[in-house]
Amino acid sequence: MTETVLMKSRIDVKERDARVTQLHEQLIEIEQRLIPTGLHVFGRAAELKEKADLLRMVASFDRPEQGARALPKLVAEGLGFDTEAVNESPANETRELIDGIVAESIKLFCEKGSDEAAAFLNKNANVMNDESAPTFALLEKVSQQLDSNREIDSLMRSLRGEYIEPGPGADIVQNPFVLPTGRNTHAVNPYSVPSRAAFDRAKHTADALLRRYLDEHGRYPRALALVLWGLDNIKTQGEGVAQALWLLGVRPVRDTLNRATEVEVIPLDELKRPRIDVVMTVSGIFRDLFTPTMALLDKAVRRVAQLDEPPEMNYLRANISNSTENATGDFDDAVTRVFSNAPGNYGANVNFMVMQSAWENEASLGDLFVTRKCFAYIRDSQGGTVEGREAPQLMDAALSRVEATYQNIDSFEVGITDVDHYFEYLGGISKAVETRAQAKPSIYLSDSLSPQTKIRSLEETVRLESRTKTLNPKWYEGMLKHGFRGGAEIENHVTNTFGWSATADAVDPWIYTEITKTFLLDEQMFQRLLELNQYSVQSLAKRLLEAHERGYWNPNEEVLERLREIIDQIRLAAEHSPTERAVASS
Amino acid sequence: MKVTVLYVGSSLLAPLRNAEAQINQRYALDVQIATHNFGSIFTDDEWLKIEGELNESEVIFVIHVMDGENATRLIPLLDQLRRQRTIVVTNCMPALMRRTRMGKLDFAKLPGASAKSEGQRAKSQGQSAKSKKSESVDGDPESLLKSIASWVSRQSRSGKSNGHGRADYLKWADRLPRLMRYLPNAGPLRDAKNYLMLMSYFLQPTPQNIQSMILLALKSYVDDERLKSIEIPQPEAVASVAIYHPDAPSLFESFSDYEHWYFRDRSKNKEPSTNHKTDSLDPTATIGLLLMRPQIVSHSRKHYDALIRAIEAEGLSVIPAISTLMDNREACEKFFVKQGSGVGSRESRVRRGKATDHGQRTTDKRKARVSQIVSLTGFSFVGGPAMNDSVAAADYLKELNVPYRSLVSLDAQTIESWRESFTGLNPVQTGMQVAIPEIDGATEPFVFGGIPARGVEPAPLEDRCVRIAKRINRWNRLQEAGRSELKIALVIYCFPPNKGNIGTAADLDVFASLLDVLKELKGQGYDVDPPASCEALRDLLLNGNSAEFETNANVAYRMPVDEYRILNPFVSDIEHEWGAAPGAINAKDGELLIQGIALGNIFIGVQPTFGYEDDPMRLLMAKGGTPHHGFAAFYTYLEKVFQADAVVHVGTHGAMEFMPGKQVGMSGECWPDRLIGELPNIYVYSVNNPSEGTIAKRRSYAGLISYLTPPIENAGLYRGLASLKDLIGSYRVAHDAAERAQLYASIEEARKELNLAIH
Repeated sequence: MTETVLMKSRIDVKERDARVTQLHEQLIEIEQRLIPTGLHVFGRAAELKEKADLLRMVASFDRPEQGARALPKLVAEGLGFDTEAVNESPANETRELIDGIVAESIKLFCEKGSDEAAAFLNKNANVMNDESAPTFALLEKVSQQLDSNREIDSLMRSLRGEYIEPGPGADIVQNPFVLPTGRNTHAVNPYSVPSRAAFDRAKHTADALLRRYLDEHGRYPRALALVLWGLDNIKTQGEGVAQALWLLGVRPVRDTLNRATEVEVIPLDELKRPRIDVVMTVSGIFRDLFTPTMALLDKAVRRVAQLDEPPEMNYLRANISNSTENATGDFDDAVTRVFSNAPGNYGANVNFMVMQSAWENEASLGDLFVTRKCFAYIRDSQGGTVEGREAPQLMDAALSRVEATYQNIDSFEVGITDVDHYFEYLGGISKAVETRAQAKPSIYLSDSLSPQTKIRSLEETVRLESRTKTLNPKWYEGMLKHGFRGGAEIENHVTNTFGWSATADAVDPWIYTEITKTFLLDEQMFQRLLELNQYSVQSLAKRLLEAHERGYWNPNEEVLERLREIIDQIRLAAEHSPTERAVASS
Repeated sequence: MKVTVLYVGSSLLAPLRNAEAQINQRYALDVQIATHNFGSIFTDDEWLKIEGELNESEVIFVIHVMDGENATRLIPLLDQLRRQRTIVVTNCMPALMRRTRMGKLDFAKLPGASAKSEGQRAKSQGQSAKSKKSESVDGDPESLLKSIASWVSRQSRSGKSNGHGRADYLKWADRLPRLMRYLPNAGPLRDAKNYLMLMSYFLQPTPQNIQSMILLALKSYVDDERLKSIEIPQPEAVASVAIYHPDAPSLFESFSDYEHWYFRDRSKNKEPSTNHKTDSLDPTATIGLLLMRPQIVSHSRKHYDALIRAIEAEGLSVIPAISTLMDNREACEKFFVKQGSGVGSRESRVRRGKATDHGQRTTDKRKARVSQIVSLTGFSFVGGPAMNDSVAAADYLKELNVPYRSLVSLDAQTIESWRESFTGLNPVQTGMQVAIPEIDGATEPFVFGGIPARGVEPAPLEDRCVRIAKRINRWNRLQEAGRSELKIALVIYCFPPNKGNIGTAADLDVFASLLDVLKELKGQGYDVDPPASCEALRDLLLNGNSAEFETNANVAYRMPVDEYRILNPFVSDIEHEWGAAPGAINAKDGELLIQGIALGNIFIGVQPTFGYEDDPMRLLMAKGGTPHHGFAAFYTYLEKVFQADAVVHVGTHGAMEFMPGKQVGMSGECWPDRLIGELPNIYVYSVNNPSEGTIAKRRSYAGLISYLTPPIENAGLYRGLASLKDLIGSYRVAHDAAERAQLYASIEEARKELNLAIH
């Protein structure tokens, strides 16, 4: 008897520790998440009180082209750990030790410069000075460039008809060579994607995606819907494209001009898992910038669909033989997997519909997505190029088999509540799948820019974004420094969050409660916002009320009353605004 | 007799057709020349046709084919025919080059061309090319053959080489005829000599040389009595670096000869340009053009001529220089830069790279003889067709400090296919002629000409040539006019459309940015009085007369419908879509409302939105038609009423560049082209958004100025989250079981309070 009690309490202790550790990891995830704080003023140097966070992240990546190694790896090696230690959970003791030393060295770098920082690493982690030197040289350059800014000068030069130097476009962490700004940002050669490095990273990410689905469902998804954008594929040299290829089980092959124009099938015994059926919805911008890549993706699908493999190892082939048996039997139709907008058109418009509250039921948001994105871009079996054939039935059929939807996120700077396009696309397609497959898909996002690639569910991502941005004083105070514009940004974030309710029911009610408390029920904050941008406060209150009316959140009557009051108060104030009256009567 | 020529480009078709006609007429032959532009993508039916023609041909030429897909399908066809046919492959990817088979000459059997794997080949031949100096071949037939082999193989490495690998293209054109002397006409080297002779003709593709090329191949490899007596002339030589002008009787090998002709002989027939008061070309009113050599040599240049005349019609002069294909710095140096203006030191500075600060004017622009450089080559500035050294290109252009444009000639698709296509340029052309030049800093990717479906040589797109010329002239005005005369429109957005969102832009504090820009403009001499503060600026924009018109922003101009109809030539297209002007959006009492404020010569305008908010049904349309009247009126106002000299779009991003039209390679029917008109377009764009920025660059001819993203920091913890972390810290160090239990309870309580879940 006593023994079992003891046993039980011991298990409890163990379980308790595990729960606390898990909680600890969640807090570290929030704490260390990089967020943009505020807005940029054109022509001004970065308003960074503290460059350390950014520089530490810049230093977390190997930069082979500079001969610079990631500091955490150097430290791990110096201390005699496996470099894999840097990919452990942040609550892991070894990882904590490594991160602590790296953080201290960056702090020293900011305060006293490279030499001190290198000496510190040498003393505390046996990192040779010449090993860390290229990394600190890079940090020094980034640091200097952040302290200066030639944007206005470039604008003036452009207005004088001078040559504006080209430069790459990306997040600073991803590619510090986007500095200096004030340059004519360019895209990439579409035939260069996916790069070898992107393919290697993509394997890692896509495997993590499949592992996560496997953990949750006990099997692989038979079909996945991917959202492909130009944005991340330019910045990552085609990581999203590579993920699609890897899920299908093919790799790109380069021709003699080093262009990725062919694919090669990876044998099943090397792949060691089934080939996944992937439906690719491609933004209009991707379509324009990566036309040859669309052909490559279509080629990959066709190649895989024609492999003589057992159906349980080739879901694409299995899905296609089912559909060719049933329906028209047309192979070209059954194998169509690359969809985008009508030629010369952009966007799914789901964002507009949500922002204008111009929808009655959620299904119409998914239908709108298909209406706008059902244009097929393929090469048919006779070699003919199909430039955007309107094919809603084909898209319906392809989506009806989808079990998970996914989008690659490569950025700390642009998250899923920062812009409306994420819910427009990933939300739109998820809702379209939900009605067509008659089951809500699992929705995932990757965090492919972190050194430790992580797959999160949409719900987890919404929570993380809300906690680190919308509800975080560091974030909103950063915005409020910019007055009017900052007020509008806060309202935009709430609307973008609401977009995830409308398209995917992925927002916990407590998030709306906390938003209301933070910005409207806190009287001091409310007055500040009103002062800065009353129009946005009004929109914010209306949106929260809409969230309630559409059933995403059920606050008490008192709160609802307050929301209505705020809306009326601002409307009345605007009608009686002295300036507007004065103008009107003049 | 049948010859098939598979080629890429626009300069060969006309001379081939000409050769066919001439040969048949002069020698009473029945030669048929089948041609296929291998820049295209073919359907199965087209492949069947190609296969049939190859089967019927005695001689097959394959020229300039670099496309992997087409090559993959072509190689087995050639392999089937290699034993019976003469196959001449030049300037192609190595897998194709190895298919050359002429009599006893078999490229597959040349040293270094054996059937090793592609990768090994490239490596081993790279080494052999390095170890063997090609200069040593003179006079030694054996090493000449080896040298051909290594030249062939060096073409294979062009994808990643440093640009020198292919640079000897033109050297060969000069050297080959000289080398011919050393080769006997008969014996084992006869076929090698023939190959080199064919090359000599091809590298100088004058109509006569192309005719000779065909004749030589027929005479040498087709057993027909009628051919035996034909005398084939030696290759004609044309200067490899020169200035061309459609009015001139010949090419100019020096700038001074050209300048002399330009003012003496040319002006006999023409009114002297008002821009030129002296007899020298005024660098501020002269445009440097880079032309493709084969087009000039083969007389396939009507599209060049039209563009040159369109630019001259603007009162500007031109220096149309023949591009030194692999490295245009040579042609620029020779013709676009004043001699003795300190460029000698340039090489060393360029070598060191990145030595100069970004943005600093490193060279006085006056050292350039041209105010802008317009490349018509469709290739990268340094590197040619197969690679690009964009760092070298940007370094050079930065030093010269004049805008660089790269225009598109439709060489891999017909004018009709471009005109009818919703996408515009095909992927091959977009990749090669738009995406790669952009990395060199090129802007304004206009299509100016191409081959018509039924034509044999390039034709100009007249309306495009005029549009380009006018835009170029506008940019010249920006360079030369006094700042106080210039009118600049700064365009901001309001999205989603409500007052609170005026000044929307990703990551940018638009009002603070605008105020700083206004102050700088004033400092530079522009006629503007910046408001005292951000708040004052915002007040002017948001309030003003906006209540009166029920608009989000102040109304700066009311455009009567009559005026709108006169100034905007596309009203009827818009009415087809949106009904009679002025419509419901941005309009009141029969007038279109232009929102914004004028501050001296600077106008700050609020771009209208797509117009969905007033007509939600439009959201449901699968594809869009036109902008609404209010949108069109806004840009009409900027160009025709306010008469802006340039427009600056402030921040990421507006709607104009997303208006319906082709994806890339705009026509006059495309809405972004119609809206931006002749206005120079500068776009202040977030550096982390290269994709949408590129849409603006291609569809609305924007030059981007990147801006920094906001400071990035760790999110940190706050309020309850911070206290929870403290609790966890205490828990981790606590040893006493009771204390731990108590702490755990607090942790659990806080966890629930904070809605943190544990799985």
